[in-house]
Amino acid sequence: MVRAFDYRQAEEIRDALARHAVRYLFIGKSGAILLGFPDTTQDADLFVAKDPANGRALAAALGELGFDLTPQQAAEIESGKDFVQLKNGPFDLDLVFAPDGIETFERAWERRVEIEGFPVCRLDDIIASKVASNRVKDRESLPRLEAFREFLRTKR
Amino acid sequence: MKPTSAQIRQWHEEFEAAARRPLRQRMRYAFIRTYKPVLDDAPYRSFDSMADYRRWCADHLPSWLGYGPSV
Repeated sequence: MVRAFDYRQAEEIRDALARHAVRYLFIGKSGAILLGFPDTTQDADLFVAKDPANGRALAAALGELGFDLTPQQAAEIESGKDFVQLKNGPFDLDLVFAPDGIETFERAWERRVEIEGFPVCRLDDIIASKVASNRVKDRESLPRLEAFREFLRTKR
Repeated sequence: MKPTSAQIRQWHEEFEAAARRPLRQRMRYAFIRTYKPVLDDAPYRSFDSMADYRRWCADHLPSWLGYGPSV
């Protein structure tokens, strides 16, 4: 079993994807954690702009990071599946190309927050995607996430 | 379930404490690794749509993992 995701691996993602000019944002609970949310999660989720050039760049960056992609898997990432789950590399990674509750990548990008060079979805977008997903685990985490949003507002 | 005011107060204390820690340390506490049946049993999965993914989760994953729809 791979070990838990850590800061160094987040840096590796940030640096490899920057080298390949991949347009992406951290999303989900991993994104919220980068924003300061104290909670637990298992893997990192990336919201990736869905276009062939970006997908090609992402597949190349993933190869550099040590993900063992077959040519068909790389082609799927390039052509744009809506959701890809990777457990064939140094850490687990979920690629989300069309998250529920968020209109477009461009809109989320305009609203992004940068934390130590990590591009992160705004907390409003993370919450909107969890509301729209409507999974049991998302519903359970929403009250605490909403309280964290309120906490951040009081700190501004 | 709506959190109580005491619960929210406790969360805010946790948020304050977290804000005093550097990101590297927060991440060490935040990311954990446990085996998730079915979900962790394939090295790669892809779905044409989020609806397909949600359906697959509802149909194949144990309900206690929490990936199914909230009713």
